[in-house]
Amino acid sequence: MNSHNRLPLSAPIAPSAAQARPAVEELRHLLAERFALSARAPERLLATGLPALDKVIGGLPLGALTEVCCTVPSCGSHLLLGQLLEITRLTQRRVALVDAADSFDPASFPSGDLEHLVWVRCQGANTALALTDILIRDANLGLVVLDLRAVCAAELRRVPATQWYRLQRAVEATDLALVVETPHACIASAHVRLSLHQPQSPDSWQRERRTLIDALTPSVERQRAIRAFGR
Amino acid sequence: MFAVLHVSSFALHAALRLRATDRLPLSRPAALFSDPSRNSLVLECTSAAHRAGVREGMTVPQALARCPRLLVCPRTATGEGEASALLRAATFLLSPSVEETEPGVCTADLTLGAELDHRALIGQGLALLQAQDLPATAGLGRTPLLALYAAQQAQAPTQLLEVTDERTFLSPLPLAIARPPAEIAAVISQWGLRTLGDFNALPAAELLQRFGTAGAAFIGRCRGGEPRPLRTVPPARRFHAGHDLDDPLAALEPLLFSLRRLLDRLELELRQAGQAAAEILLRLKLENDDVHSHRTVLPEPAVDAGILFQALHSHLHTLQTNAAIISLDVELVPTRALVRQTGLFEHGLRDPHGFAETLARLAAKIGADHIGTPRLIDSHRPDAFQLTPPATLLASPAPPPRHAPLGTPLRRFRPPLPATLEFASDDPRPRYVHTPRFAGEITTLAGPWRSSGDWWQPEEKWDRIEWDIGLAGGGLYRLLNRNGAWFIEGEYD
Repeated sequence: MNSHNRLPLSAPIAPSAAQARPAVEELRHLLAERFALSARAPERLLATGLPALDKVIGGLPLGALTEVCCTVPSCGSHLLLGQLLEITRLTQRRVALVDAADSFDPASFPSGDLEHLVWVRCQGANTALALTDILIRDANLGLVVLDLRAVCAAELRRVPATQWYRLQRAVEATDLALVVETPHACIASAHVRLSLHQPQSPDSWQRERRTLIDALTPSVERQRAIRAFGR
Repeated sequence: MFAVLHVSSFALHAALRLRATDRLPLSRPAALFSDPSRNSLVLECTSAAHRAGVREGMTVPQALARCPRLLVCPRTATGEGEASALLRAATFLLSPSVEETEPGVCTADLTLGAELDHRALIGQGLALLQAQDLPATAGLGRTPLLALYAAQQAQAPTQLLEVTDERTFLSPLPLAIARPPAEIAAVISQWGLRTLGDFNALPAAELLQRFGTAGAAFIGRCRGGEPRPLRTVPPARRFHAGHDLDDPLAALEPLLFSLRRLLDRLELELRQAGQAAAEILLRLKLENDDVHSHRTVLPEPAVDAGILFQALHSHLHTLQTNAAIISLDVELVPTRALVRQTGLFEHGLRDPHGFAETLARLAAKIGADHIGTPRLIDSHRPDAFQLTPPATLLASPAPPPRHAPLGTPLRRFRPPLPATLEFASDDPRPRYVHTPRFAGEITTLAGPWRSSGDWWQPEEKWDRIEWDIGLAGGGLYRLLNRNGAWFIEGEYD
């Protein structure tokens, strides 16, 4: 028994906050020196053109995973997708859409906004994740959208958390934004989590789409700092 | 000045370098046999085999009895052809005037480019051959023969020997290097002569008188020969490589190994011709006499063997054949290397080959018909679109449409969800909708909108009535009536 390591009975169990502060500072300094990757860097962002989003977080983080939770029907996730298609067309970024339920309707969008889109039609969350893993390693893409909104919840629950961490680690080394649309919050590794929880009203059928997009108010439920990846 | 690249034990090296079973075949005992039968004889062997007791002229059982680990390599015409092509391509690095003097020997006339750094170029060629497991030596001399003697005397692989003082260089060389005819060799042996120095010390006129015209050529070879015009070969115009495999291949790894070897050589030839590959034609012959052919069109002309290899790798990765592969054949369709300046507002791909590779990998998983850029078809038929290959060059964005889109986009259910509707007795409008995924009270109803088309084509005609509905719990959907049946076609999202 290593009796010499034991504290004397009279010693305090934990140091006071004032005593601990220098030690914590020293530890932080040590960690920052040892693990340079952990140093915080200015975030790279993709402006979305959505006032409610850009004013709050500046846009979608590049080199990071953003989860968009669509908790109610007709919440405007395809409105958001249309806006991203438009903005990426203007900024000359290529987009890949991994459509896990084959639900994308090209006729709903202006044809000019589809020229830079690679639409990947598949069935099932596992296939979609595998395809996303391939796409996010391509240097030509500026945005990858994984649409799991129509995947059944049970199938989504079966996706192991390690799968999401794998995607997050892979995307960190890139210059693209990865957006995953899900029916409920399920991605523990997401840097940013947005929630669309307001269903569109029936009068939206008659309103101009620009007005609907401007009225879209995704709430930011999580925002983590992005780690620099040595670039 | 002439240069010679020389590969000793050429047939053995040619057979060994394309064997995927061993990355360092020269370090293990191996022997070249005249044919694959048991009665064939050892033609050449590696030093490791020689140390184990294997000698030229032994049969297969005799050689294996002395060295059980012996790698038995039958002589292959395709392997030697491939090695010759590689040696020729490496020699073209030195000069455009190249002669294939004999198997394993290529001579280059360096008088055409006197200002070039020939030593550096030769070093580059030797390093290239070494990387391809075809170890060669080089010689530089006033005549092709002197250069050949020098290359043969260089012992270590990649060594370059230059003849500066001919008399001193030739003196210690054995007479056998000048290849004396049998009858002359017997006479010289009786005279007690062993080296070229001994022979050259004798008066030439009297030797000529003694040996006649048959000996004249030999006397000239003993003195290092004279400069002569080379029987030049043209550089490659057809970029083709093939290999008959010793053992049928059923795994991907050895196939890729052989393929990479072939592509490395083709890359060298392409570079020398100043061209690039636009397409790759791959042909695999199977044991059951079937042939698998595949044509890969590259997104941009490419020269780099790594890119060509990756394009083929993506195809082969998912390939399954009914039988093992017994030979492979690759041909590159050449084109001029791409020189392009994009427009000021055009936007190309950052890495076109990487993009093609990504698409190929996706296609291998879900099929090529499930990936692409959607293009709307000029038709009123619902959901009419086609997938086209993504453009490599994007034009500047078009101005926004004159009529701004209305409403929310549709998220389609493919196929549409079958729906059951409930109606009140006194109201023709539906009150409730039930589907396998959701159900609810219909609070908003807009429509109907009737459309039809292609009525003149019995197989293609369509007829439908649509409504837009809103449910009490939230959610906007498109209700569809087709041939009397109800469906939910999609969700407005």
